[in-house]
Amino acid sequence: MKETVIGIQDLSKSFGNHEVLRKIDMEIHAGEIICIVGSSGSGKSTLLRCINKLERQTAGKILYHGKEVRDSQREINEYRAKVGMVFQSFNLFNNMTVLKNCMICTRKVLHLSKEEAFDRAITHLKEVGMAPFIHAKPSQLSGGQKQRVAIARSLCMNPEVLLFDEPTSALDPEMVGEVLQVMKQLATTGLTMIIVTHEMAFAKDVSTRTIFMDRGYVAEDAAPSQLFTNPKNPRTREFLKRYLAG
Amino acid sequence: MGFNIWAIENPENSLEWMVYLTDKYLNMFLEGTWLTLYIAVLGTLLGFVLGYVVGIIQDLKINQGDNFIKKILIKTLKIIASVYVEIFRDTPMIVQAMIIYYGIRQMGVNMTPIVAGIIVTVLNTGAYMAETVRGGIGSIDQGQREGAWAMGMSPMKTMLYIVLPQAFKNIIPEMANTFLTNLKMTSVLNVIAVQELFMAAKTVGGNYYKYFESYLVIAAIYFVLCFVFNKLFKLIEKRMKGKNDYTLAVEYMDNE
Repeated sequence: MKETVIGIQDLSKSFGNHEVLRKIDMEIHAGEIICIVGSSGSGKSTLLRCINKLERQTAGKILYHGKEVRDSQREINEYRAKVGMVFQSFNLFNNMTVLKNCMICTRKVLHLSKEEAFDRAITHLKEVGMAPFIHAKPSQLSGGQKQRVAIARSLCMNPEVLLFDEPTSALDPEMVGEVLQVMKQLATTGLTMIIVTHEMAFAKDVSTRTIFMDRGYVAEDAAPSQLFTNPKNPRTREFLKRYLAG
Repeated sequence: MGFNIWAIENPENSLEWMVYLTDKYLNMFLEGTWLTLYIAVLGTLLGFVLGYVVGIIQDLKINQGDNFIKKILIKTLKIIASVYVEIFRDTPMIVQAMIIYYGIRQMGVNMTPIVAGIIVTVLNTGAYMAETVRGGIGSIDQGQREGAWAMGMSPMKTMLYIVLPQAFKNIIPEMANTFLTNLKMTSVLNVIAVQELFMAAKTVGGNYYKYFESYLVIAAIYFVLCFVFNKLFKLIEKRMKGKNDYTLAVEYMDNE
C-alpha cells in the first residue's frame, strides 16, 4: 500500500444537537481517486469540509502525513495550500479576471514571481481548455467554464490532494460532461482526489475506491467494481437501486 | 442697460440684498466655503479610513485554535469598536462637537476649533462608516472567502484582496452619501466657532439684520457644492463598473 497522505481519526461533527458525522475513520493514500456517494444529508460534504478545515470537527483529528493538523490559523493555512478544494458553487473571485483568479494565491500565498505565477496559470488553464478566456470575468462565463477555471486555479497551487465538493451539481446537464472530462484527465496524472458526487457512472468509471455514506457513517468502503455490482450493505443496495430506477 | 449687477448701492428687495451681501462679504463667504470643503473632505477621508479599520475589527472572528493572548486582544478590540460605534451613532454631532472641544480644552490642551471640528467629523464618519463597511462585508457571499481560504490564504489577506475590493464597490453610493451629509453637517461646527459657511452667514446676516437673504446665499452655495459632487460620484461609479465585454486571448486558441 502506498503512503498515507491524509488520516481521519474518530472524526465527529455536530451542528447543535444534530450529529452530521459520527466517528469517521479513514486513510487516504497517495494517488487514490476516492468517490464519496450517498443521499443528501448523509454528511458527505461536511466530511469534505472538515478535511479542508472549513468546518471545525467536534471531536477527532485530521492527520497530514501522520502529523495532526491543529487548529492554529498558521498550520491550517499551510495545510490548505497542499490540500485544495473545488466547490459546487465555483467560488471564483468575482472582482478578478480568469488570469488573476489563477495567480492571486500563487502570488500571495506561495510568493511566486509574476512570471512563474503567470506560467503556471497558463499551463493549467490550457489543461482545462480555458486559456483563451484569461481576460474574462467570472460573470461572463458559463457554469462549466467557471468550474474548469476553478479546477485550474486549484491546480496552480500544486496541491498534493484535491477535494471536489459536488463539482457538477450546479451545472446544466450539457455542461456536466466537459467538467467530468477534465476530472477524468486529472485522474490519470497521479493526483490524489477525493470527490463527492452524484454522478454514479463517473464514480464507477474513475474512482479507485468508492465510499458510501449514510446518516453520518461510512456505510461501505470498497472498490467501485464491488460497491456498484455487489454491495454488502443493504443501505447501499437500496440507495443504488433508487438511483438506477431514476 | 446701465444696470450693473455688482453696483447695487441701496438694495431694495431680497434678491438685491443677496447680491449686495455677496458682493460686500465675498471674502468671508469664500473663506467659509473653503473651510467647509476642507473640513468635509479631510474629515470624510480620514473617517473612511477609521470606518474601514473599525468595520474590519467588528468582522474579526475568534479562532478556537488561537493562543490566549490573541483571543483576549481580538475580544478587547471588538468591545472598544462596538462601544465607540454605539456612542457616536447615538449622540448628536453638535453635542459631540461641544464635548470634544471644551473637554480637550479643559484638560489643558490648546486646540484650534478647526482641528476639533475635523476630529469630530472623523469620529462621527468613522462610526457610521464602520456599520456601512460591516454591512458591505456581510453582503459578499461566504463562498468568496472559502474559495481563498481553501487555497491557504489567511483570513486577513482574504479580506484585503478578495472581500474588501468587492465590498468597496458595493458601498461607493453610501460613501458618496456620507460625504454629502458631512458637507452639510459641518454647519453645526459653528457652535465651536469654526468660521465655516454657516458662521459666515450668521455674521453677515447679523451686520445688516438680513438673515433670510444671507442664509439664502449659503443655501445656494451648499446646493451647488453638493450638486457638483453628486455628479462627480455618479461618474466615478460608472467608471468603476468596468467593461461589459472581454477579448479572447487568441494566442492560446489552438490549445482548445
